[in-house]
Amino acid sequence: MIKTKIFFLIITLFVSNTFAKDYIIVQSTTSTANTGLLDLLSEEFSLDTGIDVRAVAVGTGTAIANARKGDGDVLIVHSKVDELKFVQDGFGVERYDLMYNDFVILGPNNDPAKIKDKKNILEVMIVLSSPDYKFISRDDYSGTHKKELSLWEESGLGIPKDSSYIKSGSGMASTINIANEMQAYVLTDRGTWIAFQNKNNLEILYENDKSLFNPYGIIVVSPKKHPHVEYEKSNKFVEWLLKGRGKNLINNYTIEGQKLFFTYN
Amino acid sequence: MLDTSKVFEAISISLHVSFVSTLFAFLLSIFFGYLIATKKFILKKYVVSVLGSLTSIPPVCAGLIVYLIISRSGPLGWMELLYTPSAMIIAQFIIIFPIMVTLIINYIEREYPQLRDELISYGASQKDILFLLITNQKGIYLTTLLIGFGRAVSEYGAAAIVGGSIDHVTRNMTAMIALETAKGNILIGVTLGAILISISLIISFGINFFKNDD
Repeated sequence: MIKTKIFFLIITLFVSNTFAKDYIIVQSTTSTANTGLLDLLSEEFSLDTGIDVRAVAVGTGTAIANARKGDGDVLIVHSKVDELKFVQDGFGVERYDLMYNDFVILGPNNDPAKIKDKKNILEVMIVLSSPDYKFISRDDYSGTHKKELSLWEESGLGIPKDSSYIKSGSGMASTINIANEMQAYVLTDRGTWIAFQNKNNLEILYENDKSLFNPYGIIVVSPKKHPHVEYEKSNKFVEWLLKGRGKNLINNYTIEGQKLFFTYN
Repeated sequence: MLDTSKVFEAISISLHVSFVSTLFAFLLSIFFGYLIATKKFILKKYVVSVLGSLTSIPPVCAGLIVYLIISRSGPLGWMELLYTPSAMIIAQFIIIFPIMVTLIINYIEREYPQLRDELISYGASQKDILFLLITNQKGIYLTTLLIGFGRAVSEYGAAAIVGGSIDHVTRNMTAMIALETAKGNILIGVTLGAILISISLIISFGINFFKNDD
């Protein structure tokens, strides 16, 4: 008796998920989740089409790794080189430009490293590589981390080796929290910073440099590699974001009157 | 700032997932606990030691193990369990089962020999003994339930890895606390933590109420 009861319990536990999968899984970044944009888009798309969007927010590196394993239908990330490689390797059908914002450098408002008056981002990186100033790195292969790595490389100095270079291993907003506590400099996307609620005495100290451009791409996972991918529903989602109501929602998304993401025309 | 409907949703996800995982772990703990405690078999000492050491499995590890199994590239990928409440239930089960079964083994090992000698002389069957073991000391089972549930409802690492913290689906209380804290809403995070503890407190009171029935 008890055995059959347990058996049925187990069956109901699993069946509820296995039948009628009417959702797509979106692998995305912490920046789109911490700003609340992803939740909004998921809800609105579901209202428009009846297709649920299950958004998983991890770093770009993890998101791409998960999608490679087949644990996602759509990828929204921000590391163009990796995105193109993902498509090239046959895991994605095609990469589309979805939206953009830019990266900024935050630091304590008294700006001990005096990066405010630097002429370009490479000069900023050279100053920040000094052991006198703390810099917090995401260290999680996210899009922001990869951007930071490429900036160190472009500066010609490479990644600082001393103890003033701190690796957080956390999401964007958690890393800003740490920068807050340690009064350190940190690279972030502007969207996460605007949405961030614990700004204290951190502020944007360097911005508006061409090489701080932050483009987000969207890719549908290839059904050739992973036949279970919800290809049609995923394409519907992509189209809705690139041409449909999703595009307006991204463009009109503001926090405290500030726009976080911009779409292409 | 705090959206109450989202909080209720997170509470219901937390309770649903943790109730089911605790229930499964409890039923299997009684079954295996009784078997292990009353039967003699080779390697018994080792089985008990391994179960004992698994009580300290880091939730993140349990999450990763489940993730590898239920990922699309894993052996059970076809079941589409990843990022569902079922996945969280499995992960929590792995965390709390060793704890619950160890508690029950300890209890039965202590009570059983004495009870058996007494009852067998009255002509009782194994089934009767099991029944008596359970009904005699309800308190111990209720405490086991409470400890298992408490561990399940409060853990974050495993449920976050296999659940994915998906809005409306797998974003339970601990995932919501982590997300709000990450956004810098530290006060909201603390508030949610207080709500979670209050819920556990109510459940604990309820269980203690039954316990005193004896």
